[in-house]
Amino acid sequence: MAFLLRRLGFYFGAFFVAITLNFLIPRLMPGDPATRILLSLRGKLRPDQIDAIRKTYGFDGSLWEQYLQYLWRLAHFDFGISTVNFPEPTASLLFYAAGWTLFLVGAATALSFGIGITMGIWSAWRRGGFFDTFFTPINVMLNAFTPAVVALLLWYAFTMQWAIFPLGRAHEMNLTPAFNLETVLSVAWHAVLPVASIVIVSFGAWHLGMRNTMINLLNEDFVLLAKAKGLSDRRIRNRYVARNAILPQITSLALSIGYVLGGAFITEVVFNYPGLGKFTLNAIQTRDYSFIQAQLILLTMSVLIANLASDVLNVILDPRLRSLGRA
Amino acid sequence: MHRLRLLTLLATTALAGAGFATLAQAEVIIRIAPVHTDAHVENYNPYNLTGPHAYVQDFAYEPLWIDNVWHPDNDFPALATSYELGADLKSVTYHLREGVKWSDGEPFTAADVVFTFNYAKAHLDFPIGYDIYSAEKDTGSIVDVVAVDDHTVRFELKNADSLARLNIGPVFPLPEHIWKDVADPVNYANPKVVATGPFTEVRDFSRNAFKLCKNPLYRDAAEVKIDCIEYPQLSDNLQVIAAITNGDLDWATDGITDPEITFASKSPDNHYWLPPDAGTNLQLNTTKAPFNNLEFRKAMSMAIDRSTLVDTATFGLTTPAEYPIGEGMFYKDWIDKTALAPYQYLMEYNPEAAKKVLDDAGFLDKDGDGWRDNPDGTPIAFKMAVPAGWDDWVNTLQTVSENLQDIGINGEMETPEEGAWFDNIPTGNFDVYIMWTNLSSTPWFTYHSMFNPRTMVPGQLNEQSMHQMQIPGIEADLAAISATADVAVQKEKITSVMKQVAENLPVITLFSNPAWYEYSTRNFTGWPDESNAWARPNNPAGIHERVKVLLSLTPVAK
Repeated sequence: MAFLLRRLGFYFGAFFVAITLNFLIPRLMPGDPATRILLSLRGKLRPDQIDAIRKTYGFDGSLWEQYLQYLWRLAHFDFGISTVNFPEPTASLLFYAAGWTLFLVGAATALSFGIGITMGIWSAWRRGGFFDTFFTPINVMLNAFTPAVVALLLWYAFTMQWAIFPLGRAHEMNLTPAFNLETVLSVAWHAVLPVASIVIVSFGAWHLGMRNTMINLLNEDFVLLAKAKGLSDRRIRNRYVARNAILPQITSLALSIGYVLGGAFITEVVFNYPGLGKFTLNAIQTRDYSFIQAQLILLTMSVLIANLASDVLNVILDPRLRSLGRA
Repeated sequence: MHRLRLLTLLATTALAGAGFATLAQAEVIIRIAPVHTDAHVENYNPYNLTGPHAYVQDFAYEPLWIDNVWHPDNDFPALATSYELGADLKSVTYHLREGVKWSDGEPFTAADVVFTFNYAKAHLDFPIGYDIYSAEKDTGSIVDVVAVDDHTVRFELKNADSLARLNIGPVFPLPEHIWKDVADPVNYANPKVVATGPFTEVRDFSRNAFKLCKNPLYRDAAEVKIDCIEYPQLSDNLQVIAAITNGDLDWATDGITDPEITFASKSPDNHYWLPPDAGTNLQLNTTKAPFNNLEFRKAMSMAIDRSTLVDTATFGLTTPAEYPIGEGMFYKDWIDKTALAPYQYLMEYNPEAAKKVLDDAGFLDKDGDGWRDNPDGTPIAFKMAVPAGWDDWVNTLQTVSENLQDIGINGEMETPEEGAWFDNIPTGNFDVYIMWTNLSSTPWFTYHSMFNPRTMVPGQLNEQSMHQMQIPGIEADLAAISATADVAVQKEKITSVMKQVAENLPVITLFSNPAWYEYSTRNFTGWPDESNAWARPNNPAGIHERVKVLLSLTPVAK
């Protein structure tokens, strides 16, 4: 219990530092939203209009005043108004984008975990066999690709050269999302390329991790014993080895889930997918302070919660941590 | 059983889809590239400069007068049918079109124009665009506006000013009966568009797209061949170009690097035309050595290989500037070729001549480090700045830097982040910047922003006058132009201004940027092109002619 309390205290401190940095970092970057508007209009705006815009968005107070106001608003779950998507409240855009990111990155993470683990089991089980010698190097190579290259290649090949898949978006342009077959099909169809572009670069890591742990375990005595007992290969592979080997993978999965809400910048930008990554990138470029802050808070919270969950799991699974708390 | 149900469902969906398709075919919809955005928001405030204004200006809200910037003799009346300048040039009177109705049925009258001016005066932070006279600062020109009768308004000016109408004409009057109740116009999203233009009905709004459809009360509604303008959501150039390449858009004005290969070759319907737009200059900080020396500036201009800039650095899409006048070829009708011919040598690439100019002026390598020094022996080394990521201009400065190094001048390029680049402008803390020029209906505005001494105050420098060189002759000529309505005199004075720019070289003229314009003939024909250049064909906000171009299109029969 004391262990958990100590961790909670740490998380609270980390959270406070994070929200302060969220406030400072965007403001320390050169330029402000008003300058961005002027630059985007390259000379189509009169200079006195810049001051007007600055005033409109309330960037004329002192930094300290702005900070207190920010904390006050935060305490009331008020994330402010987006300056680039004026006058949409930041919160509504944030949750809109978070939904699509959860779907996109969540689906991609689940798929690459499933594919990677399955392939890891197979290639470790028949180490040196055709499957292992063929796929392991390929996955090492794919894993070394950057998402940008893969996303652009897929986009160029399947939307521009052969117009098989849509150019972008999460669904048909004139469709109002609802729970019906039309929406589901449209969303699935539009998700094929973005999901694939994330899966292609990420399942290799799961494959290699699973394979290596499996190989270590295969040399353990209990596997030998199981063989001696005459258990079926399938039982040894799935119940004895894979089940043990997957534990560290699940820990990394928990951590990567914390980062899901960070979005997939490149993929979302290339496919014009309305996720957090795309909105955040644009918010940073246009100095949309309130959106940057809100997104970073969301991300900080999800990472902290994922860590907390893994702490709790560890306490439950690891007796040493429990006794530590009592001592 | 299950399969049957699925089949029925699919069949119904297909039928519904087909029904929708026929319905959609009956409506003529043009898709225009949107302002780059990650999500549409419901904001139809015509003066919200973060982007939404681009959708409703011109198409929904109409100005009094549409200047045809390329062909000033062939302007388009809009809410006014004619105007006249007062004999003393201290007023402009507009005769308003009769029988015009706002889209909610209320009549449009002179009272709305008067209201809009007073509203602008009461809300100075709301960018309506009137150049209102401020006694406190002694700036601006319009003092008051008077409704002579229901259909006549007179704008009173502070000084004789023949050009004031170019600022008054493009302002969009607001409906008094709606906006009189809006206390905070800057933050007003204007959810219901009440305007007089051809397209005022917002339909099918989502973050992905929305339509702006026909105004049934528009005066020529029967002749409008397009039912709706659709704005899809698109985040950047790449997506806009991809969409128009695949036929998903009809009209775009986005940057493109290799249009022949990436765009035009993909479909016989894909076309583009890139007429000259704003000029690109090097703004030299003439308060510092070596830029305070005219011979040095001349040598710099002669050392730059502009054909390489145009062909390779800017991907061959820009238009070479022929004269060192601080402007590209946008105002070509104003250029007096004979008067400017003596200065053409400054635009021709001639490194040997440039070296000779430098030698003669005493810019020699005195400390033996391989670079030329100032005549007083201090070393020359300066930075030329361009924002990172502005690729055409980054390439341009790279080439310029190499050209200068070829003649022994140590000029390096630096690429700060956009915000940092812009933040440095008012402070005067720079050597050389690459910079656009402001455009308007006459070169007067361009030169006014470049040579107005008021904008050369260190600490609050304007990006157009970063050179900080005050040229009294130019100021006098500009004043003389706005004090007369005689076009012949105006042209003569502009030529004089251009000659003085060429003689003094406060900025180094490079080229005209392209006016981006891509269009598809898949759904519409009759687009302006090089052989049919009756109006500017690009469509960002501020190009008021765009509504005329839109209304001139012919839908392709399907």
